[in-house]
Amino acid sequence: MITVSHLTKDYGAVRAVDDLSFTVEPGKVTGFLGPNGAGKSTTLRMVLGLDRPTSGEALVAGRRCAGLAAPLHVVGALLDADAMHPGRTGRGHLRVAATTHGLPRRRVDEVLDRVGLAAAGQRRIKGYSLGMRQRLGIAAALLGDPEVLVFDEPVNGLDVDGVRWIRDLLRGFADEGRTVLVSSHLMSEMQLVADQVVVIGRGRLVADVSVAEMLRGLGGARVRVRTPDPDRLSVALAADADDVTRSGPDELEVTGLAAPAVGDRAHALGIAVHHLSDVEQSLERAYVQLTEGAAEYAGRTTTITATAGAAS
Amino acid sequence: MTSPSTTAAPADPSTPTTPSSPTVLARTLRAEWQRLWTVRTTWLFAAAALLGTTAMALLAGHDARGVGQTRPGETVWEGAQIMALLGLFVLLATAAVSTTADHATGGIVPTLQWTPRRAVLLTARTGVVAVTTTVLGVALALLAGVVLHAMAGQLALSVDEGTDTLLAVAYVDASGALLAIGLGLLLRSTAGAVVAALALMLVLPLLLGNFPFAWAQQVADVLPGTSAIQLVVGEGPAGHSTADARMILAGWALAALALGWARLLRSDADR
Repeated sequence: MITVSHLTKDYGAVRAVDDLSFTVEPGKVTGFLGPNGAGKSTTLRMVLGLDRPTSGEALVAGRRCAGLAAPLHVVGALLDADAMHPGRTGRGHLRVAATTHGLPRRRVDEVLDRVGLAAAGQRRIKGYSLGMRQRLGIAAALLGDPEVLVFDEPVNGLDVDGVRWIRDLLRGFADEGRTVLVSSHLMSEMQLVADQVVVIGRGRLVADVSVAEMLRGLGGARVRVRTPDPDRLSVALAADADDVTRSGPDELEVTGLAAPAVGDRAHALGIAVHHLSDVEQSLERAYVQLTEGAAEYAGRTTTITATAGAAS
Repeated sequence: MTSPSTTAAPADPSTPTTPSSPTVLARTLRAEWQRLWTVRTTWLFAAAALLGTTAMALLAGHDARGVGQTRPGETVWEGAQIMALLGLFVLLATAAVSTTADHATGGIVPTLQWTPRRAVLLTARTGVVAVTTTVLGVALALLAGVVLHAMAGQLALSVDEGTDTLLAVAYVDASGALLAIGLGLLLRSTAGAVVAALALMLVLPLLLGNFPFAWAQQVADVLPGTSAIQLVVGEGPAGHSTADARMILAGWALAALALGWARLLRSDADR
């Protein structure tokens, strides 16, 4: 279990993490989500004892990481796949880790084999791809067979097989009763693997809910319908639906009515329907709704308007 | 890459999960030894020091034998002392790079994940790097003496003078290594640590010592490089005893080490 209590981190005048509290339970995959600059990595670094909190504390299995004698038996973590000496071989990197815990060399070979790097163990890390470095970092995290796993963006640089492997790995660990905390910006991936999500924005807790609760919080099922007469259909549906919004020139999104009811209503009025479907509930949409305005660094999308044509 | 497995592969169940503090330190010492010798940089520095010292000793021995420019009773150790001082600069760079590499590469993140007790890491790292560079420095000075004697037999291989020389080299190399390690921990930059160490041990003593100002000479007299030369070669500022030189050198080394340790003990891992 990971317990974060009133964790705060200031960098000069900037507050990166602000009175953050949450608990990561064993037996679940917990997604750690937030926009860029929300404080995810800083939080994970404090959990692992790499950075010192300004106030508050983070405990892993009831203890502070900074005081652990043999941390790899308690928590395995991958924070930054590039944070390794590039001149050392993959096997050499893991052997140093194994030596710090008195683990035998065969354990290094076991984890190298487990992450699919057995054949590349003697190569220097500078020759590794990002995906291979991710696998090596994961191998180091698994070395001590820990109860708690913390991964920061573990699928970065991995191919499709690698992503599926990570997904199975995380699921397997949770099913064994271990605690798994994973940060990622890939919402579709989180939706597939996470049981629980902790969402932060501007260093503060935004949500700590199950994935199912987060999806339910979107306001109910929605239906998308396309018709050449959206105005008349919109008026007809408005009486029974919770909400009808125009999502395109010939498209409506209806909340509070099932797709068959929308189709029947259109049929009864003699309105042609070109498309009718349920809108898939996505974690991404829920996340965007939750974190709107919480992004520390957000880009803008410039709309190209008719002025471009006028200039020509 | 072979196909990865998602099946459980548990660690050795006999592994104790809460080792004693001496065990943790012993394991960390072994890990630091591995860290030092599993990168090419250490081997390159050691090879450069070995080749450079051997080449200088061969040349000096050849000159002494050919021209016969030796004084009666002259030993090999005068030459070996000069070569030890030149070798010191390679050893300073080795100690600095061995300390800063973790910060330059980001390797400090896994290092502190595996050894989160920072005082243990600092003790092991300082011990391994300082002892290694000191032993290398003494071995190189001994090698220089033996090669000189082999090349020019008229240069005596005095045991008493040799012991004094090697002890002085050991003291200077150990202090220099601690200074470089401290600067590396403090500055967290390879270039910064190497430049600062070389400035304090070589450039500033020479530069300030030649300024026509009394204050510059006074500053030069208390720099670690001046004391290193005094301890190894025997030429020091007027009024400075050998004990003074030892104190000055140790003071610089311990001050740099204290500042470097304080930075890692008190601040974030790599910010």
